[in-house]
Amino acid sequence: MKRVLLLTLVTLIGGRLHSQGKPLVITGVRGVTFGTVLPGVPTVVLRTDPVNSGQFNIKGPKGGPAVLSFVLPLTMTGPAGAVMSLTFGSSDAGYSATQSIGSQVGFDPKQPFTVAIPNNGTASVFVGATVNPAANQRAGAYTATIIFTVTYL
Amino acid sequence: MRTISKLTLAVAALILTGTTLQAQTNNASITATASVQTPINVIGAQQLNFGNVFPGVNKTVAASDLTNGGRFDVTGQASTPVTLSFTLPATLSSGANTMPIVSYTGIYALLATQAGGVAFTPASGATPTLSGTGNLFVWVGAQVQPATNQAAGVYTGSVTMTVVY
Repeated sequence: MKRVLLLTLVTLIGGRLHSQGKPLVITGVRGVTFGTVLPGVPTVVLRTDPVNSGQFNIKGPKGGPAVLSFVLPLTMTGPAGAVMSLTFGSSDAGYSATQSIGSQVGFDPKQPFTVAIPNNGTASVFVGATVNPAANQRAGAYTATIIFTVTYL
Repeated sequence: MRTISKLTLAVAALILTGTTLQAQTNNASITATASVQTPINVIGAQQLNFGNVFPGVNKTVAASDLTNGGRFDVTGQASTPVTLSFTLPATLSSGANTMPIVSYTGIYALLATQAGGVAFTPASGATPTLSGTGNLFVWVGAQVQPATNQAAGVYTGSVTMTVVY
């Protein structure tokens, strides 16, 4: 009897610890596109730009508080190892509980930001930035990676 | 009974502890991209040279004159459209004396030989496209109109061309 009870309890423990509901899925929808950049001329992409701004979609198991954070590059890398300055302003990220680029709450992507994910578990984050080419910036294609993390509290 | 109760309490504690530790986190990445163009560079490669001019006799240098026409050499991003604009003097000066310069003409081409050149009016500007190697050549001609009592001397003026993407 004791052994049966113990076995049952162990099964319950094992079942309870592995049951987490729907997974949290973060999707990189669109990159930040600066397009053609002229040496010595800073170029800005606004988080409200529907074509060129970056976008992440959040699909979580439920609503509730969550912390948004980024790993942001300081430079873009181009031909022959050339680097170009990349900066993010204090309002260059935007959170939308409705996944609408026209309805965002701006925040500083350099700081963790706490939000309330809606009950349906879906939301979006939009990103803008500024690239600062030097007057003698080497011509060519430049890239950088932006990492976005969501942590449910 | 006590043993079972203790075991039940331990299990309950484990269940509660296990649930608390399962906060979810996940991440994704996107790429930022940019394409830096080659800077535009313009040089005055050749002067617009009217040579000897006689009072009362108009003299024209055609833009097609490879020897005497003024020439600008442009370099920049290959196969990229640019806009040319000019500041054209109305007179040439020699000290206090001036002489009218009128009827500016222009030709732009992708080769220094002027092959395939396209005529244009400098006062209106032009919008050519740089060559596949990022080059463009621009020639300028004009006419000077010395008066019959034009004072002798060397007369000069500046023709400025601006190029932008």
